[in-house]
Amino acid sequence: MWRDPGIPADSYYEVRPECAASVPQSKFRIKTGKTLSVRKWNAAFSPEGLLDISKILERIQHGGVHPSIRGEVWEFLLGSFDPQSTYEEREQTRENRRVKYEILKQLCKKMFSLIGSGRYVTAPIITETGEPTQDPIAISQIYGDSPPDLQKQALEDGPMDKREIDWKLTLHQIGLDVVRTDRTLMFYEKEENLSRLWDILSVYAWYDADVGYCQGMSDLCSPIIMLLDNEADAFWCFERVMRKLRGNFRCTEKSVGVESQLCNLATVTKVIDPKLHQHLETLGGGDYLFAVRMLMVLFRREFSFADSLYLWEMMWALEYDPDLFATYEDEGEGRDENKGKAKSKRQCGKFERENMRNGTAAAPLPISVFLVASVLKEKSAKLQAEARGLDDVVMILNDITGNIDAKKACAGAVKLHKKYLKKVKTGDGGQKFSFLVAFAK
Amino acid sequence: MGSYRADEDYDYLFKVVLIGDSGVGKSNLLSRFTKNEFSQQSKSTIGVEFATRSIQVDDKVVKAQIWDTAGQERYRAITSAYYRGAVGALLVYDVTRNVTFENVDRWLKELRGHTDSNIVVMLVGNKADLRHLRAISTDKAKAFAEKEHTFFMETSALEALNVENAFTEVLTSIYHVVSKKALDIGDDPLALPKGQTINIGNKDDVSAVKNSGCCSG
Repeated sequence: MWRDPGIPADSYYEVRPECAASVPQSKFRIKTGKTLSVRKWNAAFSPEGLLDISKILERIQHGGVHPSIRGEVWEFLLGSFDPQSTYEEREQTRENRRVKYEILKQLCKKMFSLIGSGRYVTAPIITETGEPTQDPIAISQIYGDSPPDLQKQALEDGPMDKREIDWKLTLHQIGLDVVRTDRTLMFYEKEENLSRLWDILSVYAWYDADVGYCQGMSDLCSPIIMLLDNEADAFWCFERVMRKLRGNFRCTEKSVGVESQLCNLATVTKVIDPKLHQHLETLGGGDYLFAVRMLMVLFRREFSFADSLYLWEMMWALEYDPDLFATYEDEGEGRDENKGKAKSKRQCGKFERENMRNGTAAAPLPISVFLVASVLKEKSAKLQAEARGLDDVVMILNDITGNIDAKKACAGAVKLHKKYLKKVKTGDGGQKFSFLVAFAK
Repeated sequence: MGSYRADEDYDYLFKVVLIGDSGVGKSNLLSRFTKNEFSQQSKSTIGVEFATRSIQVDDKVVKAQIWDTAGQERYRAITSAYYRGAVGALLVYDVTRNVTFENVDRWLKELRGHTDSNIVVMLVGNKADLRHLRAISTDKAKAFAEKEHTFFMETSALEALNVENAFTEVLTSIYHVVSKKALDIGDDPLALPKGQTINIGNKDDVSAVKNSGCCSG
């Protein structure tokens, strides 16, 4: 039978010629009749702009989104907009958000003049006690060759509160990471794009002070800047990605948020592949620390650029919950009226439907945990046979870089999820207890 | 359990950690030593990554398991696992950035707080190829290293300058500590039972492992 080989998606995300040999090739192909096309996307809207998302989800779960409409589709998948709203309502929402972003950005600019200036810093701009920096690199990055009297200016600016100090102390870390993010892509050859990435992450760090900035977030933000031209739109889209993932990046002195997902991963593996779990434990890997990166930046380092975007949109389509928009807006506004409203299964992603069916919707595990679990399961035999130390585990898992198929990985995750819920429900092998413990954490 | 691969034969396994501020070049030092690679488009390290390489010391094969971690302070909450069992450390700063040297003191304190007192530490001033941008003099760093009783070396992962030397010196020193320790307790290091753990300090963690290299369990 004749099959459409599809168009490779890499052409949409141009790689610097000198890096072409060192980046993995994409497996994702844009396929007619499978990938969500511009035509199909436009046809899913009513004349007023209401979106029948069920049609769209099905497509994305199987064939991904055409790169030319990724940005706008992602806004819906991530709950930036309610599909049951009109064009007019969404324009209004968008306009309000743009104003809100501008206010946030101006506030940040007032605290630090480089925000929005097209420049950024890679050296700390203040000391930990809030004194102005003495660092020559920072001074030249901020003021060029003619620095003002910093002590005098600090006096004029007045004392800073803790939130401001903490924020200012992260700005150079953002800079250090921005210059190391996706530099194989032509897009980041442009200084203005680097500074845009720095601006958005800096404003976000102020906006979400509990999280601030944590390494890895630049990997999550970078693609969004490429997909959405408007800076404010990109900021809010990134904010929605962080709603899903910010828990991983929340740190206290004793723990990093992702550790609770590692616990969940351990629980899942214990249920579906107890022998593998046992083996990892014997090797001293029972904490699953080797999976931190996969969970924190959602496999961005294991896949090519185009493939990771494909993976993300499939994950989000599978997880899609039509209440997302209302839930997020309510969290922001402190309202609660939409809770408990019945939702149509048809409007949910496949993964979410499975959660609803099993009544785990109250505290569901994210699909990312099952994705990692399915990758481990895939490598289970090899891990058990060949890994004699944690370094072998990492080596075997590194092998997947550029070698896994996003679609297969997602299918594997959905299958495992189903199996896991079934086993937990029946209390198979006395695992129910540990399952509950993981949720209690 | 599977069978041993030939390249997996070693006499000693040492865990070594790379620490230091973000962006000083830890990951590139590691890839230079383990793969002889340097990446101009290097990315930030997320969580924990590691790589291994075996070298010959005297007539023994010493395998180094080198752990690399994110430099950002908040990731250090995962540190106890990171430092557990480490018998060597390379504390890296960037010779062109003052602040990365100022923070060395703090890194050292944290390292000492989490590891055994016998741990072999080397202060490493990386990016020595950037001569026109140098901010930390060799003398200043050397004086600090002497005061803190650590080894010291300046390296360039880009030019492959001293990278081999730095790791080799640390591994050789660990080897000497371990074999001396084994002698001190009246035990011939060559006659240790299969896979026995040699603690170079008082902690029970697996640190330096003597490998028998002959059976598959």
